[in-house]
Amino acid sequence: MKRTIALLALTALLLTSCNSKPTLQKYFVKKAEDKNFLAVDISPTFIKTDKLQLTPEEQTALKSLKNVNIIAFKANDKNVGAYEKELTEVKKILKDDRYEELIKFNRGATGASINTKGEGESIEELVLFANDKTNGFGVVRVTGENMTPNNVMTIVGLLQKANLDMEQLKPLKAMIERK
Amino acid sequence: MPQNKNYFKICTMKKLFVAFVFLLIPTMFYAQSAFTKFEDKADITSVIVNKKMFQLMGEMKMDPKDKEAQQYLNMVKKLDNLKVFTTTNTKNANEMKATVDSYLKANPLEELMRINKDGQNIKIFIKSGASSSQVKELLMFMDGTGKANTVLMSLTGNFDLNDISVLTDKMSLPGGPELKKAAAKKQ
Repeated sequence: MKRTIALLALTALLLTSCNSKPTLQKYFVKKAEDKNFLAVDISPTFIKTDKLQLTPEEQTALKSLKNVNIIAFKANDKNVGAYEKELTEVKKILKDDRYEELIKFNRGATGASINTKGEGESIEELVLFANDKTNGFGVVRVTGENMTPNNVMTIVGLLQKANLDMEQLKPLKAMIERK
Repeated sequence: MPQNKNYFKICTMKKLFVAFVFLLIPTMFYAQSAFTKFEDKADITSVIVNKKMFQLMGEMKMDPKDKEAQQYLNMVKKLDNLKVFTTTNTKNANEMKATVDSYLKANPLEELMRINKDGQNIKIFIKSGASSSQVKELLMFMDGTGKANTVLMSLTGNFDLNDISVLTDKMSLPGGPELKKAAAKKQ
């Protein structure tokens, strides 16, 4: 009896500790409303492939891609404090949300990292994070299913070949131009 | 049933102990990397590449005929961690030096080479694996003494010293020529 109670308590504890943790997904949702941020969602249809003859390899690569979410923080003179705060938060989330850091670069006020989630070589989430004190920071979250390094490379290749649907990128472009 | 109660107590104690040990395991892993503190410093340029990245890179398809590329892929799979820290700030350089010294005290590594070049004092240390050319850890410290760059590089894995030249060429690591010399000397 006691054992059952202890077990239940433990499971409850585990569950709550999971739920209360901020995830990157929640962060994206939350910050989409923030005026300092800009959020863009891109679906794989962004890569226009109707005019291309896709190889089987390219087809599987495209299928492995589900969604791309981007949020960007635009730094200006007034939001330096917010920049520091958000930056720390993103870094903390990347650590807490069990992302595996692949590579990290840091130089003065500029930094970048690539993080993933997934088992072995199949990646479920790929997160690119880049920050610069004068420009702001951006987080690109690519979700998919069974994205292997080869699939990722194939998609990068496709990006160069295919027509891109710029309509989906308009908000980002506007932001860069506003600068 | 006092005896039974006692048994239960011991049982929970044991479980608590096991739970405690599990809790400590991650901290033990973190404690391993003595250089983590340099990762997020403003005056230090850092590049960190972790095992997962090397694994993923190793999965990449490259031209099977390209011998050098294949050699590179095989090499990459054997790596665990690469950390490179560079600074020109004297205070940071001194801290790096102190950290390297204390690290070497705690983890004795074999000094492979010592070079003095253009005011830079370069030291290369390794930890050998099963055979003499097998390397588990490579540590290079280039002391710029405030004038030139101070560079700290740590590479862990289970690789062959001969592979290093491939790596330095492909990844343009600091101290490439020195590392090549050191590898040649070891043979």
